[in-house]
Amino acid sequence: MTIALRLGTLGGGTVAIRRSGVNWLCEDGHLCRPREVIGFCNLAIQGGARERLFADESVVQVAFASPFGGRLRQRQGLSGGGFLDVIGAADWRPDEVIGEIETEAVHGDDACDALLLILAGQRMSWAVDVDTGLLPGWNLSARAWWASGTGSPRSLLSLGVCDATGPVRGDRSGFTELFEGAQFPAHVGYVTDHPLAPCAPVLVDGFSRTRAEFEALAADLQRGLAESSEPPTPADWFFAGALLAQLGASPMSQDFPMLTRDGVTRSGPPRAILLSSCAETRSILRHKKLGYRLHIMAHDRRAAGRAVAAWLGSAFETVSRSLDDVAADYRQLAKSVDAETGARLLILNRMSTSGREDIANYTAFDAPLGATLANIAAKEVNLMLHDLGREAKVSIVDVDAMAADIGGAAHLPDGVHQSGELQALVRGEILDVLASALEPNV
Amino acid sequence: MLVGLYLPRLLPEMTVAIVEAFYPVVGDSLAAGAKILDLSIDLGAGFQQDCPPISHYRLISRENLRLRTINAEPGDALAPGSLIAVFGDDLEPAEIARPLRVAIAGIVSHAGMWSARVRA
Repeated sequence: MTIALRLGTLGGGTVAIRRSGVNWLCEDGHLCRPREVIGFCNLAIQGGARERLFADESVVQVAFASPFGGRLRQRQGLSGGGFLDVIGAADWRPDEVIGEIETEAVHGDDACDALLLILAGQRMSWAVDVDTGLLPGWNLSARAWWASGTGSPRSLLSLGVCDATGPVRGDRSGFTELFEGAQFPAHVGYVTDHPLAPCAPVLVDGFSRTRAEFEALAADLQRGLAESSEPPTPADWFFAGALLAQLGASPMSQDFPMLTRDGVTRSGPPRAILLSSCAETRSILRHKKLGYRLHIMAHDRRAAGRAVAAWLGSAFETVSRSLDDVAADYRQLAKSVDAETGARLLILNRMSTSGREDIANYTAFDAPLGATLANIAAKEVNLMLHDLGREAKVSIVDVDAMAADIGGAAHLPDGVHQSGELQALVRGEILDVLASALEPNV
Repeated sequence: MLVGLYLPRLLPEMTVAIVEAFYPVVGDSLAAGAKILDLSIDLGAGFQQDCPPISHYRLISRENLRLRTINAEPGDALAPGSLIAVFGDDLEPAEIARPLRVAIAGIVSHAGMWSARVRA
Protein backbone atom coordinates (compact mmCIF):
# COMPACT_ATOMS: atom_id res chain seq x y z
CA MET A 1 0.00 0.00 0.00
CA THR A 2 1.01 3.66 -0.35
CA ILE A 3 0.95 5.84 2.74
CA ALA A 4 1.28 9.61 2.60
CA LEU A 5 3.68 11.15 5.13
CA ARG A 6 2.34 14.35 6.70
CA LEU A 7 4.30 16.85 8.75
CA GLY A 8 1.67 16.72 11.48
CA THR A 9 1.37 19.15 14.36
CA LEU A 10 4.41 20.51 16.15
CA GLY A 11 4.23 22.52 19.34
CA GLY A 12 0.57 21.76 19.93
CA GLY A 13 -0.49 24.92 18.21
CA THR A 14 1.12 27.06 20.93
CA VAL A 15 4.39 27.76 19.13
CA ALA A 16 4.58 29.74 15.89
CA ILE A 17 6.93 27.84 13.60
CA ARG A 18 8.22 28.38 10.09
CA ARG A 19 10.44 25.99 8.20
CA SER A 20 12.97 26.05 5.43
CA GLY A 21 12.57 24.07 2.23
CA VAL A 22 13.13 20.35 2.60
CA ASN A 23 16.75 19.14 2.38
CA TRP A 24 16.50 15.56 1.20
CA LEU A 25 19.09 13.17 2.58
CA CYS A 26 18.30 10.39 0.11
CA GLU A 27 17.24 9.98 -3.50
CA ASP A 28 13.67 9.78 -4.71
CA GLY A 29 12.85 6.06 -4.81
CA HIS A 30 15.16 5.25 -1.89
CA LEU A 31 14.22 2.07 -0.05
CA CYS A 32 14.16 3.37 3.50
CA ARG A 33 14.21 1.53 6.79
CA PRO A 34 11.69 2.22 9.54
CA ARG A 35 12.81 5.34 11.46
CA GLU A 36 15.58 6.12 8.96
CA VAL A 37 15.96 9.88 8.60
CA ILE A 38 15.23 10.88 5.00
CA GLY A 39 15.35 14.68 5.04
CA PHE A 40 15.29 17.75 7.22
CA CYS A 41 14.31 21.41 7.50
CA ASN A 42 15.68 24.27 9.54
CA LEU A 43 13.11 25.63 11.95
CA ALA A 44 12.44 29.28 12.71
CA ILE A 45 10.72 29.55 16.08
CA GLN A 46 8.79 32.78 16.26
CA GLY A 47 8.38 35.25 19.11
CA GLY A 48 8.94 34.54 22.79
CA ALA A 49 8.94 30.78 22.31
CA ARG A 50 12.38 31.05 20.77
CA GLU A 51 13.80 32.46 24.00
CA ARG A 52 11.79 30.06 26.16
CA LEU A 53 12.70 26.90 24.26
CA PHE A 54 16.06 27.52 22.66
CA ALA A 55 17.60 30.45 24.55
CA ASP A 56 21.22 29.65 23.72
CA GLU A 57 20.63 27.41 20.74
CA SER A 58 20.83 29.14 17.40
CA VAL A 59 20.48 25.97 15.35
CA VAL A 60 17.08 24.26 15.45
CA GLN A 61 16.18 21.65 12.87
CA VAL A 62 13.64 18.93 12.32
CA ALA A 63 14.53 15.70 10.56
CA PHE A 64 11.89 13.40 9.07
CA ALA A 65 11.58 9.64 9.14
CA SER A 66 8.93 7.18 8.11
CA PRO A 67 7.51 4.88 10.77
CA PHE A 68 7.45 2.16 8.10
CA GLY A 69 10.08 0.72 5.86
CA GLY A 70 9.40 1.06 2.15
CA ARG A 71 10.15 2.96 -1.03
CA LEU A 72 10.09 6.73 -0.66
CA ARG A 73 8.39 8.87 -3.27
CA GLN A 74 9.36 12.44 -2.55
CA ARG A 75 6.72 15.15 -2.91
CA GLN A 76 8.00 17.56 -5.53
CA GLY A 77 8.20 21.30 -4.91
CA LEU A 78 9.17 21.19 -1.24
CA SER A 79 12.73 22.26 -1.90
CA GLY A 80 13.35 25.74 -3.25
CA GLY A 81 17.10 25.29 -3.38
CA GLY A 82 19.71 27.82 -2.28
CA PHE A 83 18.87 29.91 0.75
CA LEU A 84 15.21 28.88 0.56
CA ASP A 85 16.35 25.56 2.00
CA VAL A 86 18.15 27.40 4.80
CA ILE A 87 15.86 30.20 5.97
CA GLY A 88 12.36 29.86 7.40
CA ALA A 89 10.69 30.43 4.06
CA ALA A 90 7.51 28.39 4.55
CA ASP A 91 4.79 28.00 7.13
CA TRP A 92 4.63 24.80 9.14
CA ARG A 93 1.38 23.22 7.94
CA PRO A 94 0.41 20.02 9.79
CA ASP A 95 -1.44 18.64 6.76
CA GLU A 96 1.51 19.16 4.40
CA VAL A 97 2.53 15.89 2.75
CA ILE A 98 6.28 15.51 2.21
CA GLY A 99 6.13 12.21 0.37
CA GLU A 100 4.64 8.75 0.11
CA ILE A 101 5.93 5.41 1.29
CA GLU A 102 5.20 2.34 -0.80
CA THR A 103 5.22 -0.31 1.87
CA GLU A 104 4.16 -3.82 2.68
CA ALA A 105 3.35 -2.74 6.22
CA VAL A 106 -0.30 -2.87 7.21
CA HIS A 107 -1.69 0.49 8.20
CA GLY A 108 -5.31 1.41 8.71
CA ASP A 109 -5.10 4.69 6.88
CA ASP A 110 -3.61 6.00 3.65
CA ALA A 111 -1.78 8.76 5.50
CA CYS A 112 0.22 9.12 8.71
CA ASP A 113 2.40 11.64 10.46
CA ALA A 114 6.11 11.46 9.75
CA LEU A 115 8.37 10.86 12.72
CA LEU A 116 10.04 14.13 13.67
CA LEU A 117 13.53 14.21 15.15
CA ILE A 118 14.24 17.63 16.64
CA LEU A 119 17.86 18.79 16.62
CA ALA A 120 19.22 21.81 18.48
CA GLY A 121 22.75 23.15 18.71
CA GLN A 122 24.51 25.86 20.67
CA ARG A 123 27.19 27.24 18.41
CA MET A 124 30.61 27.97 19.77
CA SER A 125 30.43 31.36 18.06
CA TRP A 126 27.73 33.50 16.52
CA ALA A 127 28.71 32.85 12.91
CA VAL A 128 28.99 29.82 10.71
CA ASP A 129 30.06 29.97 7.09
CA VAL A 130 28.70 26.56 6.19
CA ASP A 131 25.02 26.43 7.08
CA THR A 132 24.08 23.25 5.27
CA GLY A 133 23.63 19.78 6.70
CA LEU A 134 22.57 18.56 10.10
CA LEU A 135 23.81 20.63 13.07
CA PRO A 136 26.42 22.41 10.95
CA GLY A 137 29.55 24.04 12.31
CA TRP A 138 31.27 23.92 15.68
CA ASN A 139 28.73 23.47 18.44
CA LEU A 140 29.52 23.83 22.11
CA SER A 141 26.66 21.42 22.66
CA ALA A 142 24.01 19.70 20.57
CA ARG A 143 21.00 17.55 21.36
CA ALA A 144 18.21 15.58 19.74
CA TRP A 145 14.89 13.92 20.60
CA TRP A 146 11.86 12.48 18.88
CA ALA A 147 8.99 14.98 18.94
CA SER A 148 6.46 12.22 19.41
CA GLY A 149 6.17 9.26 21.74
CA THR A 150 4.56 8.67 25.03
CA GLY A 151 6.26 8.56 28.38
CA SER A 152 9.21 10.36 29.86
CA PRO A 153 12.45 10.25 27.92
CA ARG A 154 15.59 8.41 28.89
CA SER A 155 18.19 11.13 28.81
CA LEU A 156 21.82 10.56 27.82
CA LEU A 157 24.66 13.07 27.76
CA SER A 158 27.77 12.27 25.75
CA LEU A 159 30.85 13.79 27.36
CA GLY A 160 33.42 11.69 25.58
CA VAL A 161 36.04 12.10 22.90
CA CYS A 162 35.99 10.66 19.38
CA ASP A 163 35.22 7.07 20.46
CA ALA A 164 31.98 8.33 22.02
CA THR A 165 31.21 11.10 19.56
CA GLY A 166 31.26 8.80 16.54
CA PRO A 167 28.62 6.36 17.78
CA VAL A 168 26.46 9.10 19.29
CA ARG A 169 26.55 11.73 16.53
CA GLY A 170 26.81 9.24 13.65
CA ASP A 171 27.96 9.68 10.07
CA ARG A 172 25.89 12.84 9.49
CA SER A 173 26.63 14.28 12.95
CA GLY A 174 22.88 14.48 13.50
CA PHE A 175 22.28 11.61 15.98
CA THR A 176 20.24 9.93 13.23
CA GLU A 177 21.58 6.38 13.53
CA LEU A 178 21.25 6.43 17.31
CA PHE A 179 17.60 7.48 17.14
CA GLU A 180 16.85 5.03 14.38
CA GLY A 181 17.77 2.35 16.91
CA ALA A 182 16.05 3.92 19.92
CA GLN A 183 12.78 2.08 20.46
CA PHE A 184 11.87 4.33 23.39
CA PRO A 185 11.54 8.09 24.08
CA ALA A 186 14.99 9.51 24.49
CA HIS A 187 16.81 12.81 24.75
CA VAL A 188 20.48 12.70 23.80
CA GLY A 189 22.95 15.52 24.30
CA TYR A 190 26.55 15.99 23.28
CA VAL A 191 29.24 18.44 24.45
CA THR A 192 32.32 19.24 22.41
CA ASP A 193 35.73 18.05 23.59
CA HIS A 194 37.59 20.99 22.02
CA PRO A 195 39.66 22.54 23.44
CA LEU A 196 38.85 21.17 26.91
CA ALA A 197 38.81 17.37 26.92
CA PRO A 198 36.35 15.81 29.35
CA CYS A 199 38.43 13.74 31.75
CA ALA A 200 37.09 12.95 35.22
CA PRO A 201 38.92 15.59 37.31
CA VAL A 202 37.92 18.31 34.84
CA LEU A 203 34.30 17.18 35.10
CA VAL A 204 34.46 16.99 38.90
CA ASP A 205 35.72 20.58 39.04
CA GLY A 206 33.09 21.76 36.58
CA PHE A 207 30.29 20.03 38.45
CA SER A 208 30.95 21.96 41.65
CA ARG A 209 32.16 25.24 40.16
CA THR A 210 30.34 28.31 41.48
CA ARG A 211 29.64 31.47 39.53
CA ALA A 212 32.24 33.32 41.60
CA GLU A 213 34.86 30.66 40.86
CA PHE A 214 34.10 30.87 37.16
CA GLU A 215 34.43 34.65 37.22
CA ALA A 216 37.78 34.32 39.01
CA LEU A 217 39.18 31.92 36.42
CA ALA A 218 37.82 34.05 33.57
CA ALA A 219 39.50 37.14 35.03
CA ASP A 220 42.75 35.19 35.43
CA LEU A 221 42.64 34.08 31.80
CA GLN A 222 41.95 37.61 30.60
CA ARG A 223 44.81 38.92 32.71
CA GLY A 224 47.08 36.15 31.46
CA LEU A 225 46.52 37.14 27.85
CA ALA A 226 46.57 40.89 28.46
CA GLU A 227 49.85 40.77 30.38
CA SER A 228 51.51 38.20 28.17
CA SER A 229 54.84 39.11 26.62
CA GLU A 230 53.52 37.36 23.52
CA PRO A 231 50.90 39.51 21.76
CA PRO A 232 47.65 37.48 21.58
CA THR A 233 46.76 36.38 18.07
CA PRO A 234 43.28 35.55 16.72
CA ALA A 235 44.08 31.90 17.50
CA ASP A 236 44.68 32.83 21.15
CA TRP A 237 41.38 34.69 21.42
CA PHE A 238 39.43 31.89 19.72
CA PHE A 239 40.98 29.34 22.04
CA ALA A 240 40.33 31.47 25.13
CA GLY A 241 36.71 32.10 24.14
CA ALA A 242 36.03 28.42 23.49
CA LEU A 243 37.72 27.39 26.73
CA LEU A 244 35.65 29.89 28.72
CA ALA A 245 32.46 28.70 27.03
CA GLN A 246 33.24 25.13 28.10
CA LEU A 247 34.31 26.07 31.62
CA GLY A 248 31.13 28.12 32.11
CA ALA A 249 28.75 25.36 31.04
CA SER A 250 27.18 22.82 33.41
CA PRO A 251 25.73 20.15 31.10
CA MET A 252 25.62 17.31 33.63
CA SER A 253 22.78 18.87 35.57
CA GLN A 254 21.03 20.74 32.77
CA ASP A 255 17.29 20.26 32.31
CA PHE A 256 16.34 21.12 28.73
CA PRO A 257 12.97 22.10 27.28
CA MET A 258 11.82 19.76 24.52
CA LEU A 259 9.57 20.90 21.71
CA THR A 260 7.14 18.07 21.00
CA ARG A 261 4.11 17.39 18.83
CA ASP A 262 1.78 18.41 21.62
CA GLY A 263 3.68 21.34 23.10
CA VAL A 264 6.68 21.47 25.37
CA THR A 265 8.04 19.06 27.93
CA ARG A 266 11.39 18.83 29.70
CA SER A 267 14.26 16.39 29.44
CA GLY A 268 15.24 16.39 33.09
CA PRO A 269 18.94 16.10 33.96
CA PRO A 270 20.77 13.30 32.13
CA ARG A 271 20.28 9.86 33.68
CA ALA A 272 23.32 8.48 31.94
CA ILE A 273 26.61 10.19 31.15
CA LEU A 274 28.80 8.63 28.48
CA LEU A 275 32.54 9.00 29.04
CA SER A 276 35.71 7.86 27.24
CA SER A 277 38.44 6.19 29.24
CA CYS A 278 40.73 7.35 26.40
CA ALA A 279 40.31 10.87 27.81
CA GLU A 280 41.94 9.85 31.10
CA THR A 281 45.48 10.94 30.40
CA ARG A 282 48.28 10.29 32.89
CA SER A 283 49.14 13.99 33.19
CA ILE A 284 46.88 17.01 33.41
CA LEU A 285 47.29 20.70 34.19
CA ARG A 286 46.37 22.26 37.53
CA HIS A 287 46.10 26.00 38.06
CA LYS A 288 48.73 27.04 40.59
CA LYS A 289 46.50 29.52 42.44
CA LEU A 290 42.90 28.64 41.63
CA GLY A 291 43.36 24.86 41.75
CA TYR A 292 41.08 23.94 38.86
CA ARG A 293 42.27 21.33 36.40
CA LEU A 294 42.48 21.21 32.64
CA HIS A 295 43.09 18.48 30.12
CA ILE A 296 43.86 19.87 26.70
CA MET A 297 44.96 17.39 24.08
CA ALA A 298 48.19 18.11 22.25
CA HIS A 299 46.53 18.95 18.94
CA ASP A 300 44.18 21.44 20.60
CA ARG A 301 47.05 22.98 22.53
CA ARG A 302 48.95 23.45 19.29
CA ALA A 303 45.95 25.20 17.78
CA ALA A 304 46.24 28.03 20.29
CA GLY A 305 48.68 30.89 19.85
CA ARG A 306 51.79 31.69 21.84
CA ALA A 307 50.00 33.84 24.40
CA VAL A 308 47.80 30.94 25.49
CA ALA A 309 50.82 28.65 25.47
CA ALA A 310 52.66 31.12 27.72
CA TRP A 311 49.66 31.38 30.06
CA LEU A 312 49.31 27.59 30.29
CA GLY A 313 53.03 27.33 30.92
CA SER A 314 53.18 29.92 33.69
CA ALA A 315 49.80 29.71 35.46
CA PHE A 316 49.54 25.90 35.52
CA GLU A 317 51.62 23.02 36.76
CA THR A 318 51.66 19.53 35.29
CA VAL A 319 50.22 16.91 37.62
CA SER A 320 50.97 13.22 37.08
CA ARG A 321 48.17 10.74 37.69
CA SER A 322 48.64 7.11 38.60
CA LEU A 323 46.00 4.56 37.70
CA ASP A 324 44.81 4.78 41.31
CA ASP A 325 44.41 8.53 40.86
CA VAL A 326 42.32 7.97 37.74
CA ALA A 327 40.14 5.49 39.64
CA ALA A 328 39.74 7.94 42.53
CA ASP A 329 38.71 10.71 40.13
CA TYR A 330 36.12 8.42 38.51
CA ARG A 331 34.87 7.40 41.96
CA GLN A 332 34.45 11.00 43.01
CA LEU A 333 32.70 11.91 39.78
CA ALA A 334 30.30 8.97 40.05
CA LYS A 335 29.50 9.87 43.66
CA SER A 336 28.93 13.58 42.93
CA VAL A 337 26.76 12.91 39.90
CA ASP A 338 24.74 10.21 41.67
CA ALA A 339 24.11 12.48 44.64
CA GLU A 340 23.07 15.42 42.48
CA THR A 341 21.08 13.81 39.66
CA GLY A 342 21.12 10.03 40.16
CA ALA A 343 22.83 9.57 36.83
CA ARG A 344 24.88 6.50 35.94
CA LEU A 345 28.28 6.77 34.24
CA LEU A 346 28.71 4.73 31.05
CA ILE A 347 32.42 4.43 30.33
CA LEU A 348 33.87 3.25 27.03
CA ASN A 349 36.82 1.02 27.78
CA ARG A 350 39.93 0.72 25.61
CA MET A 351 40.97 -1.63 22.89
CA SER A 352 43.71 -3.62 24.59
CA THR A 353 45.50 -5.02 21.56
CA SER A 354 46.19 -3.84 18.07
CA GLY A 355 46.32 -7.40 16.86
CA ARG A 356 49.91 -6.77 15.74
CA GLU A 357 51.78 -7.45 18.96
CA ASP A 358 54.04 -10.46 18.69
CA ILE A 359 56.32 -9.74 21.62
CA ALA A 360 58.43 -12.68 22.74
CA ASN A 361 60.88 -10.68 24.85
CA TYR A 362 60.08 -7.70 27.07
CA THR A 363 63.63 -6.39 27.52
CA ALA A 364 62.95 -3.74 24.89
CA PHE A 365 60.42 -2.04 27.16
CA ASP A 366 61.08 -0.01 30.27
CA ALA A 367 59.20 -0.87 33.43
CA PRO A 368 56.48 -0.36 34.40
CA LEU A 369 55.15 -1.91 31.21
CA GLY A 370 51.87 -0.02 31.59
CA ALA A 371 53.74 3.22 30.98
CA THR A 372 55.43 1.92 27.83
CA LEU A 373 53.26 -0.63 26.06
CA ALA A 374 49.92 0.61 24.77
CA ASN A 375 48.20 -2.77 25.15
CA ILE A 376 49.33 -3.17 28.77
CA ALA A 377 48.22 0.39 29.57
CA ALA A 378 44.81 -0.35 28.06
CA LYS A 379 44.43 -3.65 29.94
CA GLU A 380 45.24 -1.93 33.23
CA VAL A 381 42.61 0.74 32.58
CA ASN A 382 40.03 -1.91 31.65
CA LEU A 383 40.70 -3.88 34.84
CA MET A 384 40.39 -0.69 36.88
CA LEU A 385 37.00 -0.03 35.26
CA HIS A 386 35.82 -3.53 36.20
CA ASP A 387 36.76 -2.87 39.83
CA LEU A 388 35.04 0.51 39.67
CA GLY A 389 31.88 -1.05 38.29
CA ARG A 390 31.53 -3.18 41.43
CA GLU A 391 31.56 -0.25 43.81
CA ALA A 392 30.17 2.75 41.94
CA LYS A 393 27.23 3.54 39.70
CA VAL A 394 29.23 2.77 36.59
CA SER A 395 28.55 0.62 33.54
CA ILE A 396 31.23 -0.37 31.05
CA VAL A 397 30.70 -0.21 27.32
CA ASP A 398 33.04 -2.99 26.25
CA VAL A 399 34.69 -1.60 23.13
CA ASP A 400 37.58 -3.99 23.72
CA ALA A 401 35.41 -7.06 23.30
CA MET A 402 33.42 -5.67 20.37
CA ALA A 403 36.57 -4.66 18.47
CA ALA A 404 38.20 -8.00 19.18
CA ASP A 405 35.13 -9.77 17.77
CA ILE A 406 35.26 -8.04 14.42
CA GLY A 407 38.98 -7.23 14.20
CA GLY A 408 40.76 -4.35 15.87
CA ALA A 409 43.28 -3.70 13.10
CA ALA A 410 40.56 -3.20 10.50
CA HIS A 411 37.94 -1.50 12.65
CA LEU A 412 39.93 0.47 15.23
CA PRO A 413 43.25 1.22 13.55
CA ASP A 414 44.55 3.77 16.04
CA GLY A 415 42.65 2.50 19.09
CA VAL A 416 40.22 5.43 19.20
CA HIS A 417 38.62 6.14 15.81
CA GLN A 418 36.20 3.35 14.94
CA SER A 419 34.87 2.04 11.65
CA GLY A 420 31.18 2.44 10.87
CA GLU A 421 30.58 -1.21 11.72
CA LEU A 422 32.20 -0.86 15.12
CA GLN A 423 30.35 2.41 15.77
CA ALA A 424 27.09 0.58 15.10
CA LEU A 425 27.99 -2.10 17.66
CA VAL A 426 28.96 0.50 20.27
CA ARG A 427 25.75 2.43 19.54
CA GLY A 428 23.70 -0.71 20.06
CA GLU A 429 25.41 -1.33 23.39
CA ILE A 430 24.70 2.22 24.54
CA LEU A 431 21.05 1.83 23.56
CA ASP A 432 20.84 -1.48 25.41
CA VAL A 433 22.09 0.17 28.59
CA LEU A 434 19.67 3.05 28.13
CA ALA A 435 16.79 0.66 27.60
CA SER A 436 17.55 -1.81 30.35
CA ALA A 437 19.63 -0.23 33.08
CA LEU A 438 17.97 3.13 33.41
CA GLU A 439 14.64 4.35 34.58
CA PRO A 440 13.02 6.98 32.38
CA ASN A 441 13.34 10.55 33.54
CA VAL A 442 10.35 11.69 35.56
CA MET B 1 74.76 -12.44 5.05
CA LEU B 2 73.25 -8.95 5.20
CA VAL B 3 69.71 -8.46 6.34
CA GLY B 4 67.62 -5.34 5.83
CA LEU B 5 65.17 -3.67 8.15
CA TYR B 6 62.27 -2.62 5.96
CA LEU B 7 59.29 -0.60 7.21
CA PRO B 8 56.41 -3.05 7.58
CA ARG B 9 52.89 -1.97 6.65
CA LEU B 10 51.85 -1.52 10.26
CA LEU B 11 48.31 -0.45 9.39
CA PRO B 12 46.39 -1.19 6.19
CA GLU B 13 45.53 2.50 5.72
CA MET B 14 48.99 3.96 6.38
CA THR B 15 50.89 5.93 3.76
CA VAL B 16 53.97 6.89 5.78
CA ALA B 17 55.40 6.46 9.26
CA ILE B 18 57.47 9.08 11.06
CA VAL B 19 60.70 7.95 12.69
CA GLU B 20 60.37 9.07 16.32
CA ALA B 21 63.50 7.60 17.90
CA PHE B 22 66.38 5.40 16.76
CA TYR B 23 68.12 3.54 19.55
CA PRO B 24 71.30 1.74 18.35
CA VAL B 25 74.18 3.40 16.54
CA VAL B 26 76.20 1.99 13.66
CA GLY B 27 78.51 -0.74 14.90
CA ASP B 28 76.27 -1.78 17.82
CA SER B 29 75.70 -5.48 18.21
CA LEU B 30 72.02 -6.07 18.88
CA ALA B 31 70.76 -9.00 20.88
CA ALA B 32 67.42 -10.56 20.13
CA GLY B 33 64.85 -8.46 21.99
CA ALA B 34 66.72 -5.17 21.57
CA LYS B 35 64.69 -2.12 20.60
CA ILE B 36 65.61 -0.60 17.25
CA LEU B 37 63.31 2.35 16.62
CA ASP B 38 59.98 3.99 17.46
CA LEU B 39 57.54 5.15 14.80
CA SER B 40 54.31 7.12 14.70
CA ILE B 41 51.55 6.86 12.16
CA ASP B 42 49.01 9.64 11.63
CA LEU B 43 46.14 8.24 9.59
CA GLY B 44 44.74 11.75 9.26
CA ALA B 45 47.89 13.14 7.68
CA GLY B 46 46.96 15.19 4.67
CA PHE B 47 43.46 15.83 5.99
CA GLN B 48 42.92 18.50 8.62
CA GLN B 49 41.01 16.72 11.35
CA ASP B 50 40.39 18.12 14.81
CA CYS B 51 41.50 14.88 16.46
CA PRO B 52 44.42 13.33 14.61
CA PRO B 53 44.40 9.51 14.65
CA ILE B 54 48.00 8.96 15.72
CA SER B 55 49.41 5.69 17.00
CA HIS B 56 52.92 4.73 18.03
CA TYR B 57 54.93 1.56 17.48
CA ARG B 58 58.27 0.05 18.40
CA LEU B 59 60.24 -2.35 16.22
CA ILE B 60 62.34 -4.90 18.08
CA SER B 61 65.04 -7.16 16.70
CA ARG B 62 64.41 -10.90 16.90
CA GLU B 63 67.95 -11.70 15.86
CA ASN B 64 71.51 -11.23 17.14
CA LEU B 65 73.12 -8.93 14.56
CA ARG B 66 75.44 -5.96 14.16
CA LEU B 67 74.04 -2.68 12.82
CA ARG B 68 75.96 -1.78 9.67
CA THR B 69 74.17 1.24 8.17
CA ILE B 70 71.21 3.47 9.07
CA ASN B 71 69.20 5.03 6.27
CA ALA B 72 66.79 7.12 8.34
CA GLU B 73 66.81 9.57 11.21
CA PRO B 74 64.20 10.95 13.60
CA GLY B 75 61.69 13.13 11.75
CA ASP B 76 61.93 11.20 8.49
CA ALA B 77 58.67 10.12 6.85
CA LEU B 78 59.03 6.61 5.44
CA ALA B 79 56.75 4.70 3.12
CA PRO B 80 56.03 1.03 3.77
CA GLY B 81 58.82 -1.06 2.30
CA SER B 82 61.48 1.62 2.82
CA LEU B 83 64.88 0.29 3.78
CA ILE B 84 65.56 1.67 7.27
CA ALA B 85 68.80 -0.06 8.21
CA VAL B 86 71.15 -2.86 7.21
CA PHE B 87 72.53 -5.46 9.61
CA GLY B 88 75.56 -7.70 9.17
CA ASP B 89 79.35 -7.61 9.13
CA ASP B 90 81.41 -5.31 6.92
CA LEU B 91 83.16 -8.24 5.33
CA GLU B 92 79.94 -9.67 4.03
CA PRO B 93 78.75 -8.98 0.47
CA ALA B 94 76.82 -5.76 -0.02
CA GLU B 95 73.69 -7.48 -1.25
CA ILE B 96 70.83 -7.82 1.21
CA ALA B 97 69.82 -11.43 1.43
CA ARG B 98 66.58 -11.13 3.38
CA PRO B 99 64.53 -8.90 5.69
CA LEU B 100 65.40 -8.64 9.37
CA ARG B 101 63.02 -10.55 11.62
CA VAL B 102 61.35 -8.04 13.91
CA ALA B 103 58.65 -7.90 16.56
CA ILE B 104 56.15 -5.03 16.56
CA ALA B 105 54.53 -3.46 19.59
CA GLY B 106 52.10 -0.58 20.05
CA ILE B 107 53.61 1.82 22.57
CA VAL B 108 52.64 4.88 24.57
CA SER B 109 54.09 8.19 23.33
CA HIS B 110 57.02 9.45 25.38
CA ALA B 111 59.16 12.51 25.88
CA GLY B 112 62.08 11.08 23.92
CA MET B 113 60.13 11.08 20.67
CA TRP B 114 61.07 13.43 17.85
CA SER B 115 57.53 14.87 17.69
CA ALA B 116 57.54 15.60 21.43
CA ARG B 117 60.78 17.55 21.09
CA VAL B 118 59.80 19.63 18.07
CA ARG B 119 56.41 20.53 19.55
CA ALA B 120 57.71 21.40 23.01
